[in-house]
Amino acid sequence: MEIQKAGLKGFFAKYKTLIYLLLLALMIVFPLLGFKKSMIRVFCRVLMYCTLAGSLNITNGYSGQTSIGHAGFFCVGAYTVAIISTRTNISFWPLLLLAGICAAIMGLIVAIPTLRMKGIYLSIITLGASEVIRIIALNWQSLTGGSFGIKDIPRPTFFAFKFDSPLKFYYLFLGIAVVFLFVSNRVIRSRVGRAWMSIRENELAAKSLSVQTSAYKASNFIYGAFWAGICGGAYAPYLQYIDSAVFSLDEGFNILSMVIIGGQGTLVGPVIGSVIVNGLTEVLRPIGEWRFVMYAMLIIAMMWLRPQGLAGASDSILAGGKIQMATTRKKRKVGAAK
Amino acid sequence: MQYVLNQLINGICQGAIYALMAIGYSVVVGVTGMVTFTHGEVMMIGAFASYYVFLLAGNNIALGLIAAFAASWVLGMAVYKICYERFFNAPRHISLICTVGFSMLVKNLAQILFGSNKKPMLNIVDNQVFQLGPVTINLLQIVILVIVLTLALLLSIYLNKTRGGMALRAISQEKTAAYMVGINVRRTAMLGNCIGCGIGGVAGMLMAIYYQTCYATMGGIMSMKAFSSSVLGGMTDVRLSAVGGLCIGIIENFGISFSSANFRDAFAFCFLILVLIIRPQGFASKKGARP
Repeated sequence: MEIQKAGLKGFFAKYKTLIYLLLLALMIVFPLLGFKKSMIRVFCRVLMYCTLAGSLNITNGYSGQTSIGHAGFFCVGAYTVAIISTRTNISFWPLLLLAGICAAIMGLIVAIPTLRMKGIYLSIITLGASEVIRIIALNWQSLTGGSFGIKDIPRPTFFAFKFDSPLKFYYLFLGIAVVFLFVSNRVIRSRVGRAWMSIRENELAAKSLSVQTSAYKASNFIYGAFWAGICGGAYAPYLQYIDSAVFSLDEGFNILSMVIIGGQGTLVGPVIGSVIVNGLTEVLRPIGEWRFVMYAMLIIAMMWLRPQGLAGASDSILAGGKIQMATTRKKRKVGAAK
Repeated sequence: MQYVLNQLINGICQGAIYALMAIGYSVVVGVTGMVTFTHGEVMMIGAFASYYVFLLAGNNIALGLIAAFAASWVLGMAVYKICYERFFNAPRHISLICTVGFSMLVKNLAQILFGSNKKPMLNIVDNQVFQLGPVTINLLQIVILVIVLTLALLLSIYLNKTRGGMALRAISQEKTAAYMVGINVRRTAMLGNCIGCGIGGVAGMLMAIYYQTCYATMGGIMSMKAFSSSVLGGMTDVRLSAVGGLCIGIIENFGISFSSANFRDAFAFCFLILVLIIRPQGFASKKGARP
């Protein structure tokens, strides 16, 4: 039996599928409204970062492991596609999958030494891993072209449909984002997702309820890394030229700021974060370097005022737990009647 | 043999700087009980402070040292106020992300204020070379070793023999109990954080002198090294962290002498991963007391 909910929420619950389909249709029609090419590029970035920030949110927001070097997995995916597609004739689509798998393997390698530790070790190891991946990409001349990068990455084709303009890539990124959101939604509502969230809330309690914490933490990390790899795989042919400077630590912090500003622990959070940060990047282009200062201030302000982010999960530990309670508790007189 | 000995000397000298970083890092982590990502930026500010002092007042290393210490001390106060004070009872990741944000802030501000190009710091110490039997050692290395040893000794005396130092050690062990015996936890935590940052600033200055350059983005790699060293020493133990720093320096120098200098930063990291897999508590014997 369905419980009738009142108002907007009830309306949303009733026509959920319809609303999502409408939104999707809107997104498909949206770029055809005659925007400039540069605007379409911005939309592409927004969509790509939706998936990328979303995949970081899987790690940070759902299992509470603070990963910082997400750019490393992004880098692995991009280089996988770039290296193989410039040397062989393999079609783009299996390569995209391969990019995700390579990044996932990298995620496993990074996660193994940190399984026994608490969050901070993971943070530093991810930071270091992303930097080491970049250093290797910069110095392995024969494979990655060193500081010259890889040029002329072939554009993917889908039967007769060739992805050769930003508008067409918009649909590729849209497709990836939709698949990501759909699959993640299913995963998070499953046993696996619940296990991740229980680890985030209280690892000890989760363990005592026979949740295999280390296996679930590793799987969470691998899942996040997989989608970052897919993103990288789609991004490389979009740029057609990649070098290691694209995947610096700043890129990792950029992704992180989207997750933190948008909101952790909900699927819609990183989408909002991606829109806000990329929008700000375009709007604030005139002030140049100062915009990074602004992002940093936004992150700090977020942590002070709303640790879970704008659209984050307010009922979780991400919202700050004890501090929130300490500030909102009212003082009571001892012995006063209830 | 001579080559190996010289590499050992280089490694020890570099390791001494890492040891100083790690000492600062583990004081900060031990006292506040929270992990910091700002340490690299604190060191960078120390390096820049000394750079401007050398520019204005000539190559006086004592003045530079004081400037680096003071500048990092002030930055440490800001770090404490912004990233730690509110979050002692909050989940760990909040202050962690706060320090990440603060380090971004400082780094980008420094890039704007000081410019993003590398600043040369040439000949701060006269380039004299001494030949001790089979070993060559230059004056700069001796100066670095002396500064590091002196600071470490001073810190050791402060932590073990004075009242303030004992309060610092007390709050790094157990904050509530320290509060109950009458220690002002917040003030002591701030003091400890500032001391750690000040030492970090001096380490940053030495690093800049050693590589003869300083630039706004030098902090990221240095904080990696500081973290690796202090993990090797069990995270909160000051003395073992120093040993860890020495180890990392020596391993790095032998590593790059057998491969390419481009992989310098990869060595410390791979070593860190190995340590975390084989012996997560580092040199320390107990498993507790880590954030």
